[in-house]
Amino acid sequence: MSTPVIVGSILIAAVWAAAAIQRVYRQARFFQIEEYMNLRYARWVLRERSRALPARPLVALIVSALIAFFSDTVPEGFSLIPFAAMLAAGVAALVPLPEPPVKKAFVRTQRALRLLITAFTLIVLVMIAAVYLSLTVSSSSLVSALSVGVAGAVAFYLAPAWLIAANVLMLPIEETLRRLFIRRARGVLADVHPKVIGITGSYGKTTTKNYLRDILNGRFKAYATPKSYNTMLGVCIALNNDVAQDYSIDYFICEMGAYIRGEIQRICGLTPPDISIVVEVGPQHLERFGSLENIAIAKYEIIKALRPDGLGVFNWDNPYVRQMYERGYPQNRIAVSTQADPHTPLPDGPRFIAHEIQESLTGLRFNVTDTATSTTRTFQTPVVGRHNVLNILLATAVAVHEGMTLDDVARRVAQLQPAESRLVTQTDERGVVVINDAYSANPVGVKSSLAVLGMHSGRRALITPGMVELGDLHYQENFKLGVLATQFATDIILVGPKQTQPIREGVESTAFPRERLQVVTHVSEAIAWYREQLNAGDAVLLLNDLPDTY
Amino acid sequence: MSSRLLTVAVIFGGRSVEHDVSIVTAQQIMKAMDRTRYQVVPVYIARDGKWFTGDPLTDIANFKDDAVLRHKDVIPVILSPDVRHHGLLVDPLARGLFRRPQVIRVDVLFPAIHGTHGEDGTLQGLFELADIPYVGFATLGSALTNDKIMTKQVLRQAGLPVLDDVWFSRSQWQHTPDTVLARIHEAFELPVFVKPATLGSSIGVSRVADTALLRPSIDVAANLDRRVMVEPAVNTPTEINCSVIGFGDDVRVSVLEQPLTYTDFLTYEDKYLAGSKGMKSADRIIPAPLDEAKTREIQRLALEAFRAVDGRGIVRIDFLLEGSTDRIYINELNTLPGSLSFYLWRPSGLSESQLIDQLMHYAREAHAEKRRSLTDYRTSLLTLAAARGIKGTKK
Repeated sequence: MSTPVIVGSILIAAVWAAAAIQRVYRQARFFQIEEYMNLRYARWVLRERSRALPARPLVALIVSALIAFFSDTVPEGFSLIPFAAMLAAGVAALVPLPEPPVKKAFVRTQRALRLLITAFTLIVLVMIAAVYLSLTVSSSSLVSALSVGVAGAVAFYLAPAWLIAANVLMLPIEETLRRLFIRRARGVLADVHPKVIGITGSYGKTTTKNYLRDILNGRFKAYATPKSYNTMLGVCIALNNDVAQDYSIDYFICEMGAYIRGEIQRICGLTPPDISIVVEVGPQHLERFGSLENIAIAKYEIIKALRPDGLGVFNWDNPYVRQMYERGYPQNRIAVSTQADPHTPLPDGPRFIAHEIQESLTGLRFNVTDTATSTTRTFQTPVVGRHNVLNILLATAVAVHEGMTLDDVARRVAQLQPAESRLVTQTDERGVVVINDAYSANPVGVKSSLAVLGMHSGRRALITPGMVELGDLHYQENFKLGVLATQFATDIILVGPKQTQPIREGVESTAFPRERLQVVTHVSEAIAWYREQLNAGDAVLLLNDLPDTY
Repeated sequence: MSSRLLTVAVIFGGRSVEHDVSIVTAQQIMKAMDRTRYQVVPVYIARDGKWFTGDPLTDIANFKDDAVLRHKDVIPVILSPDVRHHGLLVDPLARGLFRRPQVIRVDVLFPAIHGTHGEDGTLQGLFELADIPYVGFATLGSALTNDKIMTKQVLRQAGLPVLDDVWFSRSQWQHTPDTVLARIHEAFELPVFVKPATLGSSIGVSRVADTALLRPSIDVAANLDRRVMVEPAVNTPTEINCSVIGFGDDVRVSVLEQPLTYTDFLTYEDKYLAGSKGMKSADRIIPAPLDEAKTREIQRLALEAFRAVDGRGIVRIDFLLEGSTDRIYINELNTLPGSLSFYLWRPSGLSESQLIDQLMHYAREAHAEKRRSLTDYRTSLLTLAAARGIKGTKK
């Protein structure tokens, strides 16, 4: 066996390994978006084959193999051509392919790094094995070069598999680390010992959480889990990073999300709530739950987790949540409503009722009646979006229960700010009003967001990729969105022809002028449209923002 | 929170001439606290300014000969100004395998230090930094009422009756004593009272009836304090005391007392050392034998004075009734009255433990009121500065 063959094989292996590593690295963010779930990621890879696994390296390999095959004139000696050809194919695989703009970049978490290092190690080991095998099996230049090149291409196209394999390999380690992390969080909570307020719902959780924090801070010190952290791990991160050693926190407000039954129960096992709030039960994540009943059962776990002397706060206006209220647990329950009649309160009906709700571009104004004390106060807030009245009422119920007066609450409500990317109104440098509602894509939220758009007087554009994760209701709810949009918007720009099909049909079922409806394939085109078409005095609503996997 | 005991740190002792009195006051307070509602953490500041905590500090018998400081369960502690600790750092300099600083979260702070470094706003300033509810006057009211000269200026400005006075600084007295004496003689006939501006418990106070004794009396006062006040003695005085508690609009006034030990004035020993129980056993008449109108008038003045000095929590206001003219003067405000004026509140309908409950309530309400004001007011200043550089020039 000659040295040039060894060196050539190693070179080919190195270039292909680098290409495979690069491929794995580029795939990692999609794996991350799919929350390291092997099956979900595998399904995505199959659906988006061309994006996950580009054809160029394969084409290059075939071409190079043919060249090597036909140019191979020295069966038993050293020949440069097969090595050069395979190396060239490897370089073709290594030179990065153009990618569409990244919206959600790879986040270099500790876990992601451990995963990547494992995957890279696997690739390197496999390539070393390939080189070793090819050299022991044959001393022909052609066979060596070809076999190592093919092995490299296989390693390249197995990029998703390396990620999944690394994930499986790391599972025991990740599980141990996760347990330790949870144990630490449990210790933090026991040490700081704040009152825990749990919030769940299909939507409105984050907004209610932030409002409650801002209102309670008028008298106490409240901490709310950041952003939309609502998983077991998210809650642990909040506890370990922010709550640890902060003994000034009176209230720990914890958003609890659920994709499956039992998840809220598990979070409640970590942070047993003293007060639980159920905001909404709706079709969000319906495809994962199967039915609205299942969603309601999952959400009810937050009430079941209360001790008998805890407090439950319920949205009376949602039939599923009202049923939870009527089940009678715990003894202390408060329901709130924006629909009930404040003048003839029901005996076991909602305690806090909002009425005479007025909405304008400067905010919301409404009266709140506490039927238990028969007091009424006018609330005024710069926050827009009618659905926020209910979120404010839920927060009010908790604040009053904890000893604040309606006056105290009203003063805080007057200073509320919208949560990040939730119906935030800004005016851009050209005078166009941009309404950013990138996070609340749910049937309740879109209705009030459209209403806010409708209050503007110039051209009113809606840019949306539609609502997702609605399961069986996907078509129906998006169709309704299309119909509704025509009542408030003058222009409709749909992003993504496939998933916005139901909206288009909704729009087209009305007399909405067709030339005012556009379907584009990427958000950037929609943004370009708005920059070109809209001027001072016009308004644009950015409704829902999709992750890159859609 | 609601279901839990309220952790209350009672802070006493202190670098003050009234150190010993403070220990007695603190023991009375801790004894009166309902243990089914409060968990008491004693915090003792030794004469030299070292801070300690530990159970032995709740027993007054341990304080004889400073024995308490050698007790193994008495350990160093500090009140952290870092809002995140919200309380005490126990053994803050501890290091080692099994020793590390520990945090005790405190719900309410109860200062029981008389005079300097306790009643004068300094301790309250620390409480404000720590952002923990505390009993009693806030920084401004404490600092104000601790200074007799400033208190009278504010009360006078509010239209409340106080005696005239002449005041001067120690350096004025050292450099131009004759000018000072001339001012005094011009203003008042003898007898007069000479008082250091900020000390309580009658320390350094003299009644001067003889011109020859004026200089030495002022020397005594000027040795104790940077500023000295001289005011005329009231003819045939009757002392009347009244306590006020409250916060904001929720203010109430106690019955009146007339202390009977008043001869010329109370000395330190009269106040605290006469009999084993101190002032409590001194003869007094409760309610003070005044007619309805006079009683009402004094109570009204007490309430107005409380508001004028931004009062909160508790205060005992001492009045002087001039026999010859029937005039009323506000003489002094004590923001940590001896025995917390329990003896005035019992006949007013509040037991010791109820009075403590009220004071805790006011402390928490006052703190809630503070929270109503925004402190986290973000401006675009930093964004601008970051973009343009600190000098306002473009990068």
